[in-house]
Amino acid sequence: MNNEFNIVGKRVVRSDSLAKVTGEARYTADLKFPNMLVAKVLRSPHPHAKILKIDCSKALKVPGVKAAVSGFDSYGVKWGVFRYTQDHAMLHTDKVRYIGEDVAAVAAVDEETALEALSLIKVDYEPLPAVFDPFESMKDGAPQIHSEYKNNVNIHIHIDVGEVDKAMEKAFLVREDTFKAAGEAYAMMEPYAVVALFKNGYLDLYMPNAGPHVRAKALSNMLKLPLNRVRIRHINSGGAFGGRSEVAPGDLVASLLAIKSGQPVKLVLTREENATASRQVHDIVATVKTGMKKDGTILAKDYKVVYDGGAYSSTGPIATSIPFYVYEECYRFPNVRYNGYRVFTNKGIRGMYGCHGRAFLAGNESQMDLMAKELGLDPVDVRLKNGLKPGEVTATKSKITSCGLKETILEASEKTNFRKKWAKPSKRKGIGMGCVAIMCGFPMGFRSGSSAYVKINDDGQVTLVTGLVDNGQGNESMVIQVASEVLGVPMEDINLVCADTEVTNLDPGAYSQAAAFVGANAVRVACENARKRIVAIAAEKLGIKETEVGLKDRAAHSIKHPDKKMPISWVVREAFFRGEPIVATGSFFPHIDFEREWVTRPWGQMAGTFSFGTSVAEIEIDQETGKIKMPKFTSAHDCGRPINPMAVEGQMEGSIQQAGVAALTEGNLWDKGHLLNPNLLEYKVPLACDMPEIDTIIVSSRDPAGPFGAKEGGLTIRMNAYSAVACALTNATGELFTELPLTPDKVLTVLERKKGVK
Amino acid sequence: MKMTRVSFEINNEKVSLDVRPYETLLETLRERLMLTGAKEACGMGSCGACTVVMNGIPVRSCLVLAPEADGAVITTVEGLRQDGKLHPLQQAFMEKGAVQCGFCTSGMIMTAKALLERNKKPTKKEIIKTMSSNICRCTGYKKIIEAVEEAAKKI
Repeated sequence: MNNEFNIVGKRVVRSDSLAKVTGEARYTADLKFPNMLVAKVLRSPHPHAKILKIDCSKALKVPGVKAAVSGFDSYGVKWGVFRYTQDHAMLHTDKVRYIGEDVAAVAAVDEETALEALSLIKVDYEPLPAVFDPFESMKDGAPQIHSEYKNNVNIHIHIDVGEVDKAMEKAFLVREDTFKAAGEAYAMMEPYAVVALFKNGYLDLYMPNAGPHVRAKALSNMLKLPLNRVRIRHINSGGAFGGRSEVAPGDLVASLLAIKSGQPVKLVLTREENATASRQVHDIVATVKTGMKKDGTILAKDYKVVYDGGAYSSTGPIATSIPFYVYEECYRFPNVRYNGYRVFTNKGIRGMYGCHGRAFLAGNESQMDLMAKELGLDPVDVRLKNGLKPGEVTATKSKITSCGLKETILEASEKTNFRKKWAKPSKRKGIGMGCVAIMCGFPMGFRSGSSAYVKINDDGQVTLVTGLVDNGQGNESMVIQVASEVLGVPMEDINLVCADTEVTNLDPGAYSQAAAFVGANAVRVACENARKRIVAIAAEKLGIKETEVGLKDRAAHSIKHPDKKMPISWVVREAFFRGEPIVATGSFFPHIDFEREWVTRPWGQMAGTFSFGTSVAEIEIDQETGKIKMPKFTSAHDCGRPINPMAVEGQMEGSIQQAGVAALTEGNLWDKGHLLNPNLLEYKVPLACDMPEIDTIIVSSRDPAGPFGAKEGGLTIRMNAYSAVACALTNATGELFTELPLTPDKVLTVLERKKGVK
Repeated sequence: MKMTRVSFEINNEKVSLDVRPYETLLETLRERLMLTGAKEACGMGSCGACTVVMNGIPVRSCLVLAPEADGAVITTVEGLRQDGKLHPLQQAFMEKGAVQCGFCTSGMIMTAKALLERNKKPTKKEIIKTMSSNICRCTGYKKIIEAVEEAAKKI
């Protein structure tokens, strides 16, 4: 495979890593501007309360305080991803809906002055009854969190394909189980930060974000500024994992303070604020009913899934749907019904997460294993039997093109001797397998596509411009590698200008798994268009046919006679002479059904392509303490052709940590509206010593539409690693989990249940 | 506010400056010396992103008060490159793909540097134990451990 291309498919050093190992890489909190002020936010102490009055006058009298803002200084425009979910004003004048919600803010010459001023802001509240459990929240008479959503049901996704009830009657084996999982913390290492500058009516912003263009649009609406006056600039991002897709309250706060003070403003959240007041992950309760034929074929699925949605809609319709879709994109369901309810509670804003939906996905997979066992089948056969194949169509009418699901299942099971180990578990040891698929991008209207621009400078060096953004996963390096391949210049000759809304064009961002399939594809097309121009001139100058021109090592050469060549820089200069510099644009728009709508029309082509993956966890359970050890973890991933296998491995390894090992340790803990573990001491992010021995397998396929055959790299493991762990528990104990994470207390409950059965 | 004079050697340069008595070393580095390689990710010593080497020991600069650093010899990630050449740890972190978002990277590298200074040939187990003082959210640590092993071979 590596012979086919000069650089695509090679393990290259990422272009961004030099600045990161020397400490030179700049993140938002590192920025300094003359006269920059420090911002601090006053937060709600109440889970639910009416705001009667906000008085900032005393705060403004503190020497060194330059501005103070509250909801009364904003336009009150409510944010929502969809027209029907616009319910989040970010700074409020009517009421607060969770502990830690932004109420007012100040900008001052230093942090101490800002904190002093904050203590002088007087807010009169009238506390209201609050509700913290989604099932309580749905009951008649529960406190109403938003008047426009009856019974606090924010979103109801209803999907009904085939004849579920009839199929259940026909099924040989039917099982219904309920699974719970605590929401996780994103715990990105960089706490949220925003720097805002406002000059001559133009607003410049820096913040870690997973989609600069969608962020600029949201702020342009909220601040009533034209889009070209809200500029989101490029800056390094210290992790996102789904938590930085949307506009954040801090963006509005910092913008208003910068506009009001006329000075640059920096807002940096503390770790605790990052956990309570940026984004959180949904707690989920999933009831899974499955009807199976005697041979293990899934006949029907019937789901009721309740998502604790916190106080606002956020990405509601998407978050309520995604766990279902990534599962139906993996397996064949002739009859399926899904009722997903996202319910408001008086907790923080709940967004999408890279590992979203673990109760649902791990529940499905471990239940499937238990049913297989009852039928005398093994998990490998059941997955192979029900897994989708290339060319098939999902229950909601998405066509699967390239699909290496079967290969990932076979490779992961062979590498781990899965069948043998699974057939003979001990009560101490278990092995489990989890599978899933991922859409590479999802429908976002005209924002679903990406376009890029490339120019070749007079010294032959390249400037590449794209709206694509990198949150640490290596997107920047990936597109530089793609451009390097197409243009025949080394990666170091390419200067990437990206994620700067005044310079770059629309791109779907880095939260819908679209970067490789969509963003890199647009870069490929732009570079191919530039290449055609280079080749035309080179062919003319070298006196050969265009089809005989190759580009490599900064030169255009004859493929037949490689000694016959000329530097690309000469070609570029010739182009300048002709008054037609080598510049090109390129775009890519995935094949998606844009009639599809998450709530009203949940069917049609979801994405241009899908990636697939299988994880295998091997665990040991201490029967006395309930503590699980995980000596080995194996993951196989069909990511199409990996552009940089080292980067794909890194994504897979990180996923094993964030979803697999996290299934043993991670979960937010609540006492009513108080988050009990908002810091990294009490919230247990796995450490190096917690990690299993890792084996990653890249199952390389060729996607017909992906750039050089590439698809999304890594996320399937992020959404199946916990399933493998849950299935391993089922293998060892013969019991299903009831709640994640599998901390010792929860494991002991499972072990006790098993004893009780005996 | 009464300021305190502190003097220390940082990245082979002697500095002397006025700090607030309760200011953390991390704040001094980032705000007064413009050395922003050390990051504040938790502010309570639980993550290691602010690790610098002080008198040969890896310290969490968010837990060290600036006046405590008086007279100390400090190295930050910015001081690792010698004569324009990357430190073997920096080189290994790049080549092994141990860097993703990069926010934990300088703390990881400084923790590893202190380890390799006191233990030239650490076993893999020792590396894992030492590096478990720092949190990374992106990598699963595998490539970080490999990078430290690789650098140990070259030092």
